[in-house]
Amino acid sequence: MPHFRRGASSPVESLKSTPTMLLVSYVLLCFAAIVSITPFLYILSTSLKDTNSLFSYPPDWIPEQLFWGNYAKLFEQTSFVRWTLNTLGVGIAITGLKLVMDSMAAFALAKLRFRGKALLTTFLLLLVAVPIAALVVPLFFVVRSMGLLNTYWALILPALANPLGILMLRSFMVSLPEDLDHSARLDGASEWKVLTQIVLPLIKPGLVVHAIFTFMLQYTSFLWPLVAVQSDHMQVLTVGISSLKSNFVVDWGLISAASLLATIPITVLFLALQRFFLSQNLSAALKH
Amino acid sequence: MLSDEEHRRLRRKAAVRTNLTAFAFLAPALAFLLLFLAWPVASLFIQSFHAGGVMSPAKFVGLENWRRTFLDPLVVKSIRNTLLYSLMAIPTVFAIAMALALSLNSIKVGQNIFRTIIYFPTLQPILIAALMFTFVLHQDFGILNIIMRAIVGEPVNFLGNASLALPTIAMVEVWKGVGFWTLLFLAGLQGLPRDLYHAAELDGAGPLRRFFQMTLPLLKPTFFFSFVFATIVNLQIFDSVFILTDGGPAHSTVTTTWYIYRSLFTFNEPGFGATLSFVLVVLVLLLTAIQTYMFRERR
Repeated sequence: MPHFRRGASSPVESLKSTPTMLLVSYVLLCFAAIVSITPFLYILSTSLKDTNSLFSYPPDWIPEQLFWGNYAKLFEQTSFVRWTLNTLGVGIAITGLKLVMDSMAAFALAKLRFRGKALLTTFLLLLVAVPIAALVVPLFFVVRSMGLLNTYWALILPALANPLGILMLRSFMVSLPEDLDHSARLDGASEWKVLTQIVLPLIKPGLVVHAIFTFMLQYTSFLWPLVAVQSDHMQVLTVGISSLKSNFVVDWGLISAASLLATIPITVLFLALQRFFLSQNLSAALKH
Repeated sequence: MLSDEEHRRLRRKAAVRTNLTAFAFLAPALAFLLLFLAWPVASLFIQSFHAGGVMSPAKFVGLENWRRTFLDPLVVKSIRNTLLYSLMAIPTVFAIAMALALSLNSIKVGQNIFRTIIYFPTLQPILIAALMFTFVLHQDFGILNIIMRAIVGEPVNFLGNASLALPTIAMVEVWKGVGFWTLLFLAGLQGLPRDLYHAAELDGAGPLRRFFQMTLPLLKPTFFFSFVFATIVNLQIFDSVFILTDGGPAHSTVTTTWYIYRSLFTFNEPGFGATLSFVLVVLVLLLTAIQTYMFRERR
């Protein structure tokens, strides 16, 4: 059962740390925090400078005069807003569809009895190990034969084929007591009712974790969107921003502004739903 | 009363019904898994015996792609680079993440703040992380090179040097991945049984001994997931290579996925790309199987 409690007193934590251990820990953590955050601050500083003044040495961290030209150019001369909307739209579509399909499949695996269940579960675990990046060539042909290349469907449909979400929700459902759905069935509830009115309300945290995981996966994906869609106005954020680098003369100021703004949506999501972002939920999915 | 015959018939009918219900619940997800995951894997094998297909219809070429795959020195190099990169990145990111998880676990004040900051790079797409690192590594205005100039006196050409480029890409991936693994290991540490540690402390086991003889063995399930998952993800490395070096300099950062992408879009040879993809799938499945076997035996 995945943990959701935050700040619960942890077992090991309760052992007293020696002062030396505390000191070493804080030094390490401070160093890690600085390394984690400095690149973000540096591109913030770069994005507020005229590209020409970038090359002066030593650099001034806080530009004397804030230069907003990079941001203006990003909004006026590139499809940045469109790319952001594409990413959000495609991500929400995938997340919604996957929540429905994966809950249904996970319900069958966790709560229904049918032939070949063990075999199917093993098959799904095996599919987890397939490197998706190795499938771009055949996927390109499958999607092309459906006539969907360079459409939003090309971004949405293949992303629905990921077994991890099913296994994750299954692990949440397996840990629910059996009596609940048994008694509902005895009362004459259909399986659909058992799923939607008993099981799903009880695994709400699991659904949020699943949604975040699915959305993040889409938000960060790059290779398939690069292959599937060519038109500039249909690109997702990652592909759109990378196209800024392929110009003959690289506009560093523009790229820094775009990179910085691209971190905002996911940061907002993270700050709002922080406790669901814990990665151990993923590892729980793969436990039998 | 029902006769035996009727009883059996009704039971069979009920079984058929539950099977059908289960299938109905599974059908939508399975349809997508088969069409966009299982079928592409199978068609890799079929495509590996064909050439063309982008502009003109594909035609059967027998073992031509396979012959090329085994003779092309760049294929060998791409697989070597991919494995080498994984060998650099995975142990490094695990060691750092474990140190940070232990640190987070031993402090009380500020745990949440540090956790949030360390997790922050993990949130970003690796593509954005790689773009950000062009500002860290750039010879003229990269922050790391500004520091280098202050310490060593001259900037280092991290991405233009054939022996430095791959380790540099590994560094970027470690920077971006460390938060994920730190939180995973921290969750593992916090789930360990408290009594055992008190007993060990009373018996006089020092912190180092407790770490090596209790913590590491107890975290075996976490490590199993970590190694398998990290292997699957890292062997597919593409985004950071595409942004930072595009395979160069002198092919020193050509990875398997980069070569697959180029074979489809630059060289227009999907049959060859499919063959290479098939090799990558087999490689990943093989390594995953080996890891599963190794962890299972000692459990």
